[in-house]
Amino acid sequence: MNQNDLKWEHIRIWLLWLALPLVIGILIASAIPQPVIGIIRLDDAIYASTARDMITQINYAIDHPEIRAVVLAFDSPGGTVVDTEAVYMELARLRAKKPVITAVNGMAASGAYYLSANTDYIYAKPTSLVGNIGVIGYLPPSPFIFEEIISTGPYKLWGSPRDSDMRQIDMIKEGFFQAVMLGRGDRVKVGPEVVLSGQIWIGSEAVRIGIADALGTETDAFNKAAELAKVKNYKTVDLRSLSGIADVYSPFFIQSPDGATLPYPADAGLYMLFIPQLPGQK
Amino acid sequence: MKKNMLWIALAALIIPSLARGLLFYRGVPQRPEIATPDYQALTVSQPPLKAQQVDEDIKQVSGIILFDFAHANQYQSAEVQSLKEAIEKRGGQVEVNTDSTLLEYKLKYASAYVVISPSLSNTENEIRVVKEYVERGGRLLVFADATRGLLNYDFFSGSVVNYADTNAVNPLLAPFDITVNNDYLYNVDEHEGNFRNVFFDDFGKDELTFGLKQVVLYGTHSLKSPSGLILLRGTESTLSSVDDAHDPDEGGAALSENGNVLVLGDFTFLTSPYQNVADNATLIANLADFAMGSKQTISLANFPYIFTQSVVQVYPASDIQLTAETIAAISGLQTSLQYVGNSIKIVNEVPRDGDTLILGTFASSADLLKFIDPFNISMDESSETITIKNFGDVGRAGNGILLFEKNKDGNTLTLLADTPEDLLSLLATLTSGSLYGCVLQDDIGICSVGYGGSYSEDTGEDTATEGTATPEPASTEVTPTPSG
Repeated sequence: MNQNDLKWEHIRIWLLWLALPLVIGILIASAIPQPVIGIIRLDDAIYASTARDMITQINYAIDHPEIRAVVLAFDSPGGTVVDTEAVYMELARLRAKKPVITAVNGMAASGAYYLSANTDYIYAKPTSLVGNIGVIGYLPPSPFIFEEIISTGPYKLWGSPRDSDMRQIDMIKEGFFQAVMLGRGDRVKVGPEVVLSGQIWIGSEAVRIGIADALGTETDAFNKAAELAKVKNYKTVDLRSLSGIADVYSPFFIQSPDGATLPYPADAGLYMLFIPQLPGQK
Repeated sequence: MKKNMLWIALAALIIPSLARGLLFYRGVPQRPEIATPDYQALTVSQPPLKAQQVDEDIKQVSGIILFDFAHANQYQSAEVQSLKEAIEKRGGQVEVNTDSTLLEYKLKYASAYVVISPSLSNTENEIRVVKEYVERGGRLLVFADATRGLLNYDFFSGSVVNYADTNAVNPLLAPFDITVNNDYLYNVDEHEGNFRNVFFDDFGKDELTFGLKQVVLYGTHSLKSPSGLILLRGTESTLSSVDDAHDPDEGGAALSENGNVLVLGDFTFLTSPYQNVADNATLIANLADFAMGSKQTISLANFPYIFTQSVVQVYPASDIQLTAETIAAISGLQTSLQYVGNSIKIVNEVPRDGDTLILGTFASSADLLKFIDPFNISMDESSETITIKNFGDVGRAGNGILLFEKNKDGNTLTLLADTPEDLLSLLATLTSGSLYGCVLQDDIGICSVGYGGSYSEDTGEDTATEGTATPEPASTEVTPTPSG
């Protein structure tokens, strides 16, 4: 074997035993996905449409392994009880598998806080509005009958007796309180009389009393999510676009004739909702 | 050599994945067990209902309970039906006053005056009338309610202002040292169905709290009364909405120092179904007993509600002839007294007992010493004046005198004047149903009945500057006689 042949033999050996495995190794490595931290934004009240969108995004995060954690970014006054509960229960499924972090932007009040309580960590801005834990609803009128409306029972028209409504609202509040205490545990530094007062706190005060964990931004929330998910060099994605949700506008609040949006729900019902002023006020 | 190459190849195969893995992942996250509320275990709370109270031995007393409905009161009659029924079970009658100008007149006979969640304040005169009524022994029940404020929309600021009933009740209660706070009591720890429905199980010692172990008020103002008695006190977790703090000196009901003014911060507990929660029914029964337990002192100022029995015996003294004019005057008085449930019976002997109306002249006073002596009146026939204690000398001519004596066997009103003609004028004054124009001091009244004698010489003087002149009512109503 001459020198030339020997040289080519070495090249062949290195190609066979090093370069080829390396290329194959790189190809295999490229199949390891870059971790993704998804963000679900709620900049509206919680009602049928927004709850459905949130649940779609939550399910997407559950089904896609590359999504290692999720950040919930809130600017929401809460919403209907049943839609809040629907999202809450789906969120529990997600949280059992992946870390979920809350970043409160403008507001996480009432139902939005109900959801926040079911996350691993809550960041708020110094003046975000947080809390308003409780339930609100209008009592039905005392039953009466109309000449022109025939119903088959005293509460067919009104839904339930006033007294029952009041007690049901209190029961729903108990569920809310349990959710807060299960989610926050001993991080809450105040008693139930404060938690259930319905007060809305600014972010710095919410942190002081343990309703939130720290002051921070969405970036802090992503970093915390990465820490809990034990990932680095992650990328962030908005799960709304990934999960293929179309923008459909269905107003939840009353729209005044002059086009203004009032802070009161368009439909009667039970709400975990922060209403900044009494009905009738601007 | 080949073995080494094998290791190199293996390393080349693994290292990229390892490097990429280490670039992105730093371990396997451990997820905690996620607990959610046990929704199935949550139950709707039920009120601590008590069986309907069976009142087997209710003391029957008569009396009229006057409900205020002249101050834009924020309640409907059906809402306080439980209290009305409890009053009627005790023999009482409920009367509703819709005309505030009649208040003074009606309080002359009412056993109790009930004010529920007014929106309009009482006038200073009404407050004075109520104060005097309470001082006479009348009873005042005031129910405020934290849920019955009036919402007013301010078109300029766009804001809604809640005018609480405390604005209307506090001036009325100020003379009795009771204040209703513009707040509501709440308890988020322990409540009846809602945080604003507060349990009370600490009671001030009084007949009003007899038999109570626990009552519930539904959205109550807190009350304070430094000199009075707080009847319903909440636990330490019962807080005021004003400062989110507990004040042991405030509660849901208060009784004035003299025991005649009772104030509650809520009346929702009177409504169905809350009147049967806990011991609320017992409380309502106690409230009815309180209202019926009035010991209003009857005085001349109460005229025509000064008699306690249905028949008033009229005794004309010996010098009073039953002329046509006299009969006509007595008939007029009879008509007036019939409005308040009294009838008249003329007798020719001085009655021994029962309600009596004595008619006489100053000259006949010797026959009527029994009725005049207690009043320390000196009637010297040679003098043109009569000396009356506290009044001084009063002209005989042109004046009529009323003497009112209370007795357990019946009340007596004695009418005296200088002449039978003046007596007829005095009767005519009474026929109007009031003593307007008369000067009253305690149980003695002097009425101007004409012109003559020394009175006519002093026409420039107004003798009605002292004492209490009762205003004429706008109208009279048919009302039964009050209890004794």
